[in-house]
Amino acid sequence: MSRVVVIGAGLAGLVAANRLADAGLAVTLLHKGLGGLQLGQGSIDVFGYAPDRVLNPIKAVSQVATSHPYAATGSSAVLDGLAYLKQELPELLVGDPEANYQLPTAVGSVRPTCLAQPSMIAGHVRDGAELVIVGIRQLKDFHPQLVAENLSRTVLPDGGRLSARHVWVDLPARDGEVDSSPVGYARAFDTEAFRIAFATALSPQLNGDEIVGLPAVVGLTDPKAWRDLAGKLGHLVFEIPLPPPSIPGMRLNQALTARALAANVRIVPGVRTHAFSTVAGRVASVTTAAGPGGRTYPADAFVLATGGFESGALELDSHQVVRETLFGLPLTGVGDGALLHGDYWGPEQPLFRVGVSVDDRMRPVDPWGAPAYPNLWAAGGILAGASGWRELSGDGIAVASAVAAAAAITKELS
Amino acid sequence: MTTPDQRLVMGEDGLAFAGHKLSRASLDACVKCTICETACPVSAVTPLFTGPKFVGPQAERFRNGESVDHSLDYCSSCGTCTLVCPQGVQIAELNSQARAVMKADHMPLRDRLIGKTVLMGTVMTPVAPIARAALKNKPIRKVMEAVIGVHADAPMPPAQSQTFEGWFRKRATPAGPFPRGTVVFFHGCAGGYFEVETSKKSVEVLEHLGYQVLVPKQGCCGLAQQSNGLFDGATKDVLKLCDDLRSAGKDLTIISSSGSCTGMLKHEAHEIMGVDDERLRDVGTRIRDIMEFLLELHDAGELPTDFSPIEMTVPYHAPCQLKSQGIGKPAIEVLRLIPGLTVVDSNATCCGIAGTYGLKKEKYEIAQAVGKPLFDMVKATNPELALCDTETCRWQIEQSSGVKTEHPIYLIHQAYGLS
Repeated sequence: MSRVVVIGAGLAGLVAANRLADAGLAVTLLHKGLGGLQLGQGSIDVFGYAPDRVLNPIKAVSQVATSHPYAATGSSAVLDGLAYLKQELPELLVGDPEANYQLPTAVGSVRPTCLAQPSMIAGHVRDGAELVIVGIRQLKDFHPQLVAENLSRTVLPDGGRLSARHVWVDLPARDGEVDSSPVGYARAFDTEAFRIAFATALSPQLNGDEIVGLPAVVGLTDPKAWRDLAGKLGHLVFEIPLPPPSIPGMRLNQALTARALAANVRIVPGVRTHAFSTVAGRVASVTTAAGPGGRTYPADAFVLATGGFESGALELDSHQVVRETLFGLPLTGVGDGALLHGDYWGPEQPLFRVGVSVDDRMRPVDPWGAPAYPNLWAAGGILAGASGWRELSGDGIAVASAVAAAAAITKELS
Repeated sequence: MTTPDQRLVMGEDGLAFAGHKLSRASLDACVKCTICETACPVSAVTPLFTGPKFVGPQAERFRNGESVDHSLDYCSSCGTCTLVCPQGVQIAELNSQARAVMKADHMPLRDRLIGKTVLMGTVMTPVAPIARAALKNKPIRKVMEAVIGVHADAPMPPAQSQTFEGWFRKRATPAGPFPRGTVVFFHGCAGGYFEVETSKKSVEVLEHLGYQVLVPKQGCCGLAQQSNGLFDGATKDVLKLCDDLRSAGKDLTIISSSGSCTGMLKHEAHEIMGVDDERLRDVGTRIRDIMEFLLELHDAGELPTDFSPIEMTVPYHAPCQLKSQGIGKPAIEVLRLIPGLTVVDSNATCCGIAGTYGLKKEKYEIAQAVGKPLFDMVKATNPELALCDTETCRWQIEQSSGVKTEHPIYLIHQAYGLS
């Protein structure tokens, strides 16, 4: 029997499972499908806007309101989590908790993020930089002219300006394809032959010391593919994340999953966890919808890392009633009037802050502050009090709450 | 829902279901996140299949009867897309159903023949040496390829001189006592005719643990027909099989070492063909993959772990139809209880065969490309032995890597001192 069951395999679930396994606990990770990592940018946002652009994310973390998830985790769990990711995934994540990178996006805006992949950081915007953004004719999800022109007209966070132009390369990921997928390109870039062909097509179009911006498809399994390409071009290069499928996100997902497997986490994919049982006020087991009979997983502790509305962990019905779909936990942010207003471009929708509130050990609490179940913990997008997409705080909250929950469980069970 | 004594007849109903009830209801949950596209092993190796999102939930909206998109036939139905979908869209099931509708009025003879696993077994067993020789004979295989479209290099089942049932009936029946009670063994067609050793070893391990093993006379689960779109015959077969297995006794755990047939009983017959029948629900609830059963015993503290050491590093591949059962990879955890044994997870998506897909002459090269990373991994890990839970996957791995491939129960059997 596993001592801990983690439900959900997004960033929060994967970090929690890894940390618990590192602590020597037998862990089962149940998840419905792949988690959200490969729908993101493959970087770790800690705090991007508060509400103005954040330059020092850890400082912004320490200044949140008491209702914010970072108030429950504290700055130390954020720092702990970031250090852990950098240490465990050195080829995939670099950065400084005290200084956000400011990186070009696929629409030519500049986004703040805390940890980024080494293949992205040459894009950190600087006054006077000369960029060339490279499109690939057969990759329909990336528009280099849009990126270059928007970047050129943007006043940078430090007040400076850069210049950017765009060029095209005409090279299908596979022979005969006119519309190749980002994954197809990533697999092609994993091969030396494709990198040579790409460099051969691109090199004559590059000038001087231009920094080369590429769609983030430069290799999936070979973490050195982008360095090799940069060497072949003789220029600094950087990757710009695309809409899903996110290759940088896939890299993170695969690395954290492989690490969990290596740490002997029992991973059960493809199952929705839909029921639970209690004994004497504690969660005794959860049950998955595997086959007609389901499968039941008893444990000493449970981590709810199921995400928010987008993953079905929270549901809003037509009567404006919100429900946490597994445990029916008490929700914060639902009692103060309309959850949605009609002004699409107006102020933030109250709905986005709905979630579960937790105590200082990351256990969901009822409205009076008592734990809903003494052996149930929560991490990630299910937590109330943050608008991850607006603040660019979702990754940091996931990592910090997973680290904090894992620490509390480890203390409790040892 | 039908009651146990009603006989659900598919045919038109089955195809009506295929065009489109249960799975179709799930397609609105698709948010176009593309996660399935990133995981599909077929579109990764060929542009002939445009990917599960396009062919599945997207193309499905344009289907009213026959599909407008014939690349659908290149889906191998390995089920990876459904497994990775975070929104619960039954992508592979949609594809299997749409393919059944597409092929309904011009089903190739080959696809009818290779679904007839019992027929193949009964014909081959009495003439096993001849059948073995014939299936290894290049000119004969070339004729087979030309006439019925089964690729000359595709793996074929190994004909055996004795069926499992023959062995089970003729051997000295264990006298007991059976301190752990009684279980039912489901061998499946392959486990009855071709993978006889796997079935024997499974029974011997269960008896060693102290179970009385009942083997009721049993037919085919219909999986091979289902995967070829022959829902009518498959439905009749799976319900007949449920009757067979239920005849051994109420409430007994049913155990199988045939991973894919177990998946058919647990969920595929219901989710793909819409068989909604109390008998199927009953069997689907009681049945366990044998490695899943051993792991459940271990989790409950009831599995003896007095295993003899096996000093070996062995590659293990979890087949798609095991993964789709939502039980993780129980074999790895049970095998890791054997001292000295290092089990290396292939972490490969699919071996390519996907039931009968990789046998077909127009799909053979694709199936080989899908399995190539696995074959390379197997060869690099141990050139003598690989482990895998399902029959056709073992034949594929063995044929394409040249490495002997057995069911994980072989090493459990050995470590208990039974071989």
